[in-house]
Formats: sequence, structure tokens, C-alpha cells
Amino acid sequence: MRKFKFFLNFEKEANWLNQMAEEGFEFVGKSMGYHFRPAKPEKTDIKIDYRTFKNKEDFIDYCTLFEDCGWKHIAGTKSSGTQYFKKVRADADEDIFSDADSKAGRYKRLSQMYMALSMCYLPIFAALITTGAIDAAGLLSPKRLYYTPGLWNMAGADFWGAFLFETPFALFRAATWALFPVIIILFLFFSYKTEQHYKKLMK
Amino acid sequence: MKRDRHIPLTETVYYILLSLLEPAHGYLILQKVEELSGGQVRMAAGTLYGAIENLLKLKFIQPVPSEDSRRKVYLITDKGKEMLHLDLERMKHMIQVTEAAFIK
Repeated sequence: MRKFKFFLNFEKEANWLNQMAEEGFEFVGKSMGYHFRPAKPEKTDIKIDYRTFKNKEDFIDYCTLFEDCGWKHIAGTKSSGTQYFKKVRADADEDIFSDADSKAGRYKRLSQMYMALSMCYLPIFAALITTGAIDAAGLLSPKRLYYTPGLWNMAGADFWGAFLFETPFALFRAATWALFPVIIILFLFFSYKTEQHYKKLMK
Repeated sequence: MKRDRHIPLTETVYYILLSLLEPAHGYLILQKVEELSGGQVRMAAGTLYGAIENLLKLKFIQPVPSEDSRRKVYLITDKGKEMLHLDLERMKHMIQVTEAAFIK
């Protein structure tokens, strides 16, 4: 079973996964949504860290350390960022973090990732504008989204025919042109939200 | 003399450095830290991982070759030893002046 959900808060995400496990859905992985497998309802203790790794050795070393401590790595890859752990030993620590700094640090890393992602799209957007592939002004004046020559000088049935014919294309243009600014703003917003969460935890 | 900006070390950093006078991997560090601190300092996996990463960046510790392919092994560097020494001197001084003050 696959479920689509989006979190900016690791605690809420972990709570949801624990709740799913209690309802008999075992979390098995995340790629294009959360994947679950029907299983015996179980009271789980899932914790989430946020880290990416330079190489496979570092990633294995990281997972092994957690497993040595009684936390089984249940989902996440070398470059996925979010790493999911499930408590599998009764004598394991209460949490995967033992101080406030490291618990907050994962929000800092998440925030930096969103910022980097946002900044990645910025030069692409700028290039599309300068090459004319995106008409920036078109986003502000809808008339420029219509490419039909002389459309705005037509009248009556001619106008409506041409107008309605061109409208789906105009909408499509608007959607593609707006995509980049929307992505950039969205990621900036996520970066801001997670940074605020980091600051709150560090207080 | 101006004090090194990493002094004083935090309690966890101090114990990690102390435990790495001999090579050890992550989980062994956790156990040594707990033992050295008389059970007072218990670090969780995520926190230790971040601390190791930070100490590697500061070059207080270094990775050393090991036979264990799943676990990286670390050892203190000369710079790390110097930090331990500086912090020891700081604490010795504190103990000395505190004891003198109490005797009065």
C-alpha cells in the first residue's frame, strides 16, 4: 500500500508511522510516497534522523552504529536524507539523540537542503527568462499568454472562436511558466519553516 | 596567553577524546564513555555520530584502517591530545583554586 503525505516535522512524521504500525501497516520504505506492508498490529518506536552520505562506507558505518545501539534502520538510502529507525532492543536508549543540539541539528540540515534545492532552480529560471523561453511579463499580464496574431483586434464570433481555441494553450503556458517561481518560493518557505523549528529547539 | 577557542571541551567531547587514546569504533566509544564517566554520560547513536563528524572536521580524531568492514575505527590525533591536555590543565587549576578557597 502506498500513501502520500508530506511532513516538515520529524516528530509528527514518526508519530504517524507509529500509528500506522499500530493499525497493522508496517512501514517498509519511502520513494514517491510511503510504502506499507500489511502486518500484525505492533506498538513501534520509530525515530527519524536527517543525513546524507558521501559514500557507501559512511552510510553502512552509520547504520551499523544505530543497529549496535538497538535501532534497526528500516528505510532511507545514502542520499535520501531522511533515515528511519525502529527500536528493536528493550535496552536501547529512549531516543536516538541524547542532547538538544543534535536533536535540533537535523532540522538545520533539512533547512539547508531546501535552501540548496531552491537555489538550484533559480539559475534555471533565470536562464529560461533570458532566453525568452519564459515570458516573465506574461505571468503578470494574461493577455501575453495568447499567441494568436491579432487576437485582441478581432471581434464577435471570430474573436471567441480564436480566443477559446487558444485558451487551453494559454493555460498550459501559464502553468509551465509559473512552475519554476512556485517551486523556488515553496522550497524557500520549507527552508524557512524548518529553520524556525531549529531555532525554537535550540532556545 | 589567549586560550584556545575549543577550551573548555564539553563533557561528551572530553570523554570521547579520552576513549580514543586507543582505536575504537562508534559503539565501543559509547561504552567507553559510559564506563569512564562512571555511568554519568550516556550518549545516543545519533548524537555520537554528529560528535564524531564534528571531531573529524576539527582534526581532533582521525579514521584508522580496520578489519571491520561495517564499522569505522577512529583514533585521537596529536591535536586532539593537546586539547585534552589543555582542558586537563584548566580543570587542575579550577580544582586547585577551589580547594584553596574551601580550606580557608
